[in-house]
This record gives sequence, C-alpha cells and structure tokens, in this order.
Amino acid sequence: MSTAVELHGVSKWYGNVVAVNDVTMTLGGGVTGLLGPNGAGKTTVLHMMAGFLAPSRGQVLVGGEPAWRNPNVYKGLGLVSEREAVHGFLTGREFIVASAKLHRLPDPEAAARRALELVEMTDAQDRRLDTYSKGMRQRTRVAAALVHEPQVLVLDEPFNGMDPRQRLQMLDLLHRLGTQGHTVLFSSHILEEVEQVSGTVQVIVAGRLAASGDYRTIRRLMTNRPHVFTIHSNDDRRLAVALIGEQSVTGVEIQPGGLTVQAGDYGTFTRRLPKIATGSGIRVQRVIPTDESLESVFSYLVAS
Amino acid sequence: MSVEQSVIHDIGYQRYTGVRLGRGYAARSLYTHGVRTAFGFGRSAKAKIFPWLMVGIIGLVATIVTAIRAQTGVPVMSYVDFPEKMTPLLILFCAAAAPELVSRDLRTGVLPLYFSRPLRRADYALAKLLALVTSAWLAVAGAQLLMLLGGVFSVHGFRAVWDEIGDFLPGLAYSGVHAVVFSAVALMVASLAGRRAVAAAVIVAVFFVTLPVTGVLYAVGGDTGRELANLASPSTLVSGVGDWLFDPVKSGVGDFGPLYGAVALALVLGCVALLLARYRRVAR
Amino acid sequence: MTLIATEALTKRYGSTVTALSELTVAVEPGIVGLVGANGAGKSTLIKILLGLLPPTAGRASVLGLDPTTHPERVRAKVGYMPEHDCLPPDLAAAEFVTHMARISGLPRTAARERASEALRHVGLYEERYRQIGGYSTGMKQRVKLAQALVHDPDLLLLDEPTNGLDPAGRDAMLTLVQRIGTEFGISVIVCSHLLGEVERICDSLIAIDAGKLLRAAQVSAMTTARDVLAIEVSEGTEELAASLSALGLQVQRDGHLLLVPLAGDDTYDQILGAVALLDLPLHRLDQRHHRVAELFTAKEAVSVG
Repeated sequence: MSTAVELHGVSKWYGNVVAVNDVTMTLGGGVTGLLGPNGAGKTTVLHMMAGFLAPSRGQVLVGGEPAWRNPNVYKGLGLVSEREAVHGFLTGREFIVASAKLHRLPDPEAAARRALELVEMTDAQDRRLDTYSKGMRQRTRVAAALVHEPQVLVLDEPFNGMDPRQRLQMLDLLHRLGTQGHTVLFSSHILEEVEQVSGTVQVIVAGRLAASGDYRTIRRLMTNRPHVFTIHSNDDRRLAVALIGEQSVTGVEIQPGGLTVQAGDYGTFTRRLPKIATGSGIRVQRVIPTDESLESVFSYLVAS
Repeated sequence: MSVEQSVIHDIGYQRYTGVRLGRGYAARSLYTHGVRTAFGFGRSAKAKIFPWLMVGIIGLVATIVTAIRAQTGVPVMSYVDFPEKMTPLLILFCAAAAPELVSRDLRTGVLPLYFSRPLRRADYALAKLLALVTSAWLAVAGAQLLMLLGGVFSVHGFRAVWDEIGDFLPGLAYSGVHAVVFSAVALMVASLAGRRAVAAAVIVAVFFVTLPVTGVLYAVGGDTGRELANLASPSTLVSGVGDWLFDPVKSGVGDFGPLYGAVALALVLGCVALLLARYRRVAR
Repeated sequence: MTLIATEALTKRYGSTVTALSELTVAVEPGIVGLVGANGAGKSTLIKILLGLLPPTAGRASVLGLDPTTHPERVRAKVGYMPEHDCLPPDLAAAEFVTHMARISGLPRTAARERASEALRHVGLYEERYRQIGGYSTGMKQRVKLAQALVHDPDLLLLDEPTNGLDPAGRDAMLTLVQRIGTEFGISVIVCSHLLGEVERICDSLIAIDAGKLLRAAQVSAMTTARDVLAIEVSEGTEELAASLSALGLQVQRDGHLLLVPLAGDDTYDQILGAVALLDLPLHRLDQRHHRVAELFTAKEAVSVG
C-alpha cells in the first residue's frame, strides 16, 4: 500500500475566495516543511489532507485513498492543528488515552504509554493539562496525534509560542520521526529551523504551489538569479581583478568585509574559485553563499 | 531652485522635547474619550444610532411638553418629574454606553497598554465612571435645558423667569442623581463582562427584573411596605430619593426619606468600590 | 547610565511560587535580548520594571529611577509592546495611536503630530486611516510598536515582536527594531524565543531560567569564532574528506559540511589545494562560531558569567 500523501490538481474555493489553486504535490518519507506567507493557503491544504475539508476540485489521497470523510485516513494520518483546544481538567495521560479510545485501539493504555515515551512526557503525564507549559501542551497534542501510530503526521505551526529548549526538543522529535520512516509535514515561518530539520520544502504562495523539493536544488534552478557570495582573502583586490576576468562572474563589489561576487554560472564559478586562488597564491579565508539560505530562496519565490 | 538653495530635509526620528503632562491630563483625556465613545463619536455610524435615538426620544418628549405648555400655559411635566419619567430611556442609554466604555477594553486586551502608561488603575476606572455619569446626565439635561428655554419664553417678567430657573435647577440636580446611581450600577456590571451584548443584557436585567419585587412589596406590605417598596430596585430607588428631596408632601416615602438617601449613597459607593477592586485585579 | 539594574530581585507569589529569585544584573544601553523558557520569570520581570508589581525583596532601577517608588515616572519614559492581541478593532490606527499619546501625557497637537510620525516610522501609510480590525498581523504588530514609540520613550520593551509574522514580516520587523536601537537612539529590550533573531540584532543578552539568572553577556562574546573551519562542496564530499585526511587533517562530517580544526594559515591553503586538485565546486568555507543556542543545549544550568 502506498504510504504517501498525494494532491492532484487540488483547488479549494469559498465563493470568490480561492484559498488553494491547482496544487499537485507528493509527499514521501521524511520531514517536509510547508512554507508560505500568511494567508497563502497552508492551513487549508493541511486540513484537506486530514480529511476535514473536501477539495472543490482535484483529489487528495492519503495512502492511495481519498481523504475526505474517510475513516481509514484517520487511521493513517495524525493532525496537530494550530488552535489549542484541550480540556484543561484532564491529565496528559487521560487526554492521550481518550484519543486512543477514539481511534478504537485494542489497548489504549499501552498505546498512550508508548506515545508519551516518544514525546518524552512520561514524567508529567499525571499532571493536569492546564498546569502544562505551552511546549508541554504541544508535545502532548503531538502524542495524541501519534497514539494510533499513523504513517503520516501533519502539524500546523507546531512551534508557536515555544521557548528555545522546547523548540529544540520538538525539532529533534520531528527529525527522529522522519528518520524512522514517517512522513512528517509541518508548516512554519521560522525558516532557520526548517533548514535544520530538513531541506525538503513545499512552498505555497497565494494558493499556488511555487516550488517543491530540496531548497538548495531549488536555488540552483533559479538560473535567472546570479548566486551571490561573500569572499574574503588575504588580498581581496587582487582576487577581485582575477575574478572579474572570469566568464562565470557577472559582478564583483569591493567592501570592507570582503568581496561580494555575483556568479551567473554557479557550477563553473565554484570550481574555478579554488583554482584561481591556488594559482595566484591568494589565500581565500572565507567563502559564504549569501543568498542560498532557505530564507533567501523563500523570498525569491514569494517575490517572483 | 538654484544650487545654493537645494537641501535635503532631515525627516528622521525626532526626539520629543515638549511638555509632558501628568496623571491628571491622562485621566482627563480618557474621560473626554469616554464621553465621545458614549455618544458614538470617533467610530462608525452604527455606533451612533442607539445613543442618539435615546437622546432623540428624550428630546422629543421635552419638546412636546414644552409645546403643550406654550399652547395651554400648563406645564404638563415639571423639571423634577422629567428625569423620573425618562428613567427607562436613561437605563437603556446606560446599558448601551457602559459596555462600550469598559467591556470593549476588556475584550480587546488593551488594558496593558493603558496600565503601562502614567495612569493608575483607579484613575482608569474613575475616568470611565465620570464619563458615563456625564454622558447620562447630558442626555437628560439637554432636554431639560430645552424645556427651560421654552418655559422662559412662555412666562413674563423677571420674577417669573427667576422662579422658572428656580424650578429648573433642582430638576437638573435630580437628573444628576439619576445619572450617578444608574452609571455606578451599569458600569460595575459592565466591568465584569467582556461581551457587550451580555453586559447590556445583564444591566437591563438588574434594573428591570427587580421591578416586580417593588410591585409585590407595594401590594402586600401595607403602608410601610408601600413606602419601602421602591428600595427594591435601582430604577425606583432614585424616585424615592427624589420624593425625599423634592416632594414637599413626601407622599411616596413618608418618614423613610433619609433611608432612601442612605441606601442610594451606599449603592453608589458599593458599586464604585467593586469597580475599583475589579480593576485592581484584572490583568488584560 | 545603566539602562536597567537589579539587585537580588525576588518575587514570590504566596509561599509556593517563586517567579524571580535573587536576580542581580546590570544592563548597558543598546539592544538587549531577554530570553528564557515560558514561565521562567520574564513577564514578572517586565511587570516589576514597569512598576506594575512590587518585588518581594531586592531592588530594581530603570533609567536611574526606582519603579517601586516612582512607577509613573518610569512608565512615562518606557514604551511597552505586549505579546498578545491588544488593539481595538473598530478604531483607525491614527486615532488609536493619537489617543495613546495623550494618555502618555502629550498635549493634543503634539499627540497628533507624533502619532503621525510614529506611524510613518513603522511603515504605515494610507492604511492608518482604516480600522485596525481589517489589518494583517504584520500591520497590527506595527501599530503596537507605534503606540510604544509615540511618546518618545528612552526604553522600549518589546515582547515577542515577530510573533505570528511570516518570514518577510519578521525580516521587516527586525530591521525596524535594529534601526530604532541604532539610529533613533532608543534602547530596546527584546523578549524572544528565536535565538537567531537575538544573534542578529541584539548587542547583549540576558537569559533567565526558573527565575534565576542563567547568563548575562554581550552577544559578540557568545558568538566568538571557534578554531574550526567548515567546508561545503556541492559534490564529492567523501573524496574531499579522504583527501584532507590523507593530508593529516582531522575531518568530521556534519551533514553537508566537513569540519576541520583550524591549526593556522596553512590549513586554508591545504583545503583550497585539495579542492582545486579534485576539481570540486567550493560552496562554503567559513570559521564556525559559537551560537547563543548553546546556552540551552546543555542540560544543567550554566554558571553565571
């Protein structure tokens, strides 16, 4: 049975408002970041995957089956939504056991125990939810979404309001789940963290899918944008002269911190640079790609 | 322009070196803002409908009374009668205005912005209260002024005008008493609710649901009961005070006049105390 | 003048909850990051500094004033931008900020003018005449910042200013905060959970954990360069690793990166030589720096320093 999540030509509209416009994507194993400006349609996509919303057009398939109103899908997918709505009077364990029972698991207590261990909430499990910190509540909700051991886990802005330690723990958890073979999709605005967990992204802009895949590769595909590097050496001016003579270089700026070099041909330039340096006896000490981060890639995708 | 006259003006951030006024000014600004809010100014047209409808009806009554007096020479309603008769309208005015003044702030979470400024919590509560008292009083006093103008033009002689003013002033004071009592109760109730509709409904309930109690006391209590009946509801409590202060015969309250005064004062002070306590505790 | 100084500042609620414990810190003017777990005591500290809460023990001073004895004087000089929603939806931004300016003690005309200027500085133009209810998250955050700025405070307290903003919005807000801290001459305290932001715009940082001071230091001291070089090539990482090992360098893999100890200037030459020889595309060569996040990866509390 295919365990992927697939969207085929999916659109969702509310009257004249088109929330999602002709999106086709496939999610495999590992962690994928769902990115996009506010209001781009990320939450709508996540809710369609979870089977809460029907697409106006197209198909949303989870494990090969349509997601809409399909109880089987709930077995294979766990959703952690953005809104927090937990009953404060329940303890962590009770909440997860309740979730397990809703999934009609044969041994809810054992499943809850496993889920709690997975999110490292075993110590606090018998305390009431309204005594939990934000991070603890989030982790409990992740556990509730994982209690039936679904293949796919979908999270909407899971890091909202979490402090640094909680973020690291959550990133770690998602990473672990990804390496264990789960399909994890999470939306976030904090791109440095998405970068850390996984380089695979799906970028949605104004309802349309702007790009998918590894962000580094996506950057290389933007051939109309020269790559920008900051380069510092023991003789920047001489290096500048040598570089400007290269075909692959479209611009060199001399600045106090080093050279800003625009390379129209990434592949050629990155191979030529070390050779030029060693050939001219210039000691290059710093080569930093300045527009290769996920933030830069994302801003280019949103702008174009 | 010539080269010597060309210039780039500095529109970067400027520090403020002007005067900074203190708590009093801040509280006064909040007060003025409150009075404007009560009448719907500074907001959408919809916000103006209800308060001005109430003011309009009250004004209409005053106009009719004045017109009848001009025609027939008989004052159908005295200045002191007027606020009493307008009680239901005034209650509705307060029930609409009080939530606009305080419930909205509670709902939107704007209180931390006020309290992180040189304004004490008590200043906030009292400024809002004074704003409601002023607005409620203006709603009635304006109409009374209309009546005065009409009255002044339908009598002759300086003596008569002086007498007219002599009737007007107690009427104005009586409106003030209504405004103070109704505002204290309404604002205290509104400060407990974040939703305006809920606050308005509860305020109306506090005033009107207690009315049947007065009715019952009036019917079964005998003479004493009849005199004490109006203590049971804030809406009628003030009329008891009015009887005590302005009715030479004291038909309604008998010897219990001072009791009415004391209860009214206690009610106002109690509501203010609860209001201050509420704002000492609430965070946002 | 020290921006903020506390001496053994303690706050207890009842007998059970200790929100702050013996906090002693001196903060210099500039842009300061305030980090710490949720519930670690940051909000309590802010409330005490604003004079909204009296401490149980110890002292605090803000801009040379004592918030316990002169709370209104402190609040007159401080601008506060809360984390939560706090804007009325049915007022226009221009009206709201003007109103707030007057509550801060500015006379009518000055209030109107400064409100207009504050809105311009935060980047709200014709939108300012529309009702706040229709604003995006980014615009609302700007209004919150404008009302904190309107009375020309000497200190701004910003609580999670990038909350809810998308990447473009975050970038704009951080740039704005940095401008305020450097060009406008106003000191800023930024509470943030995002240590990347703190590294980007803050000069110094205070970290609080469970009511106690975890660390108070200059950000530059916490992000010093390490004697490790990171190298990234777009392909052939294994070959390069082998080649560098053969040269006698200790090579460690970290995802796409190769980490090599920086022994001296020769190390650069060796690396470049190896990459050139293997005809590999050099993507990155840089010294690793310490990160602020290291504060929180150690499980035990780090000693105060």
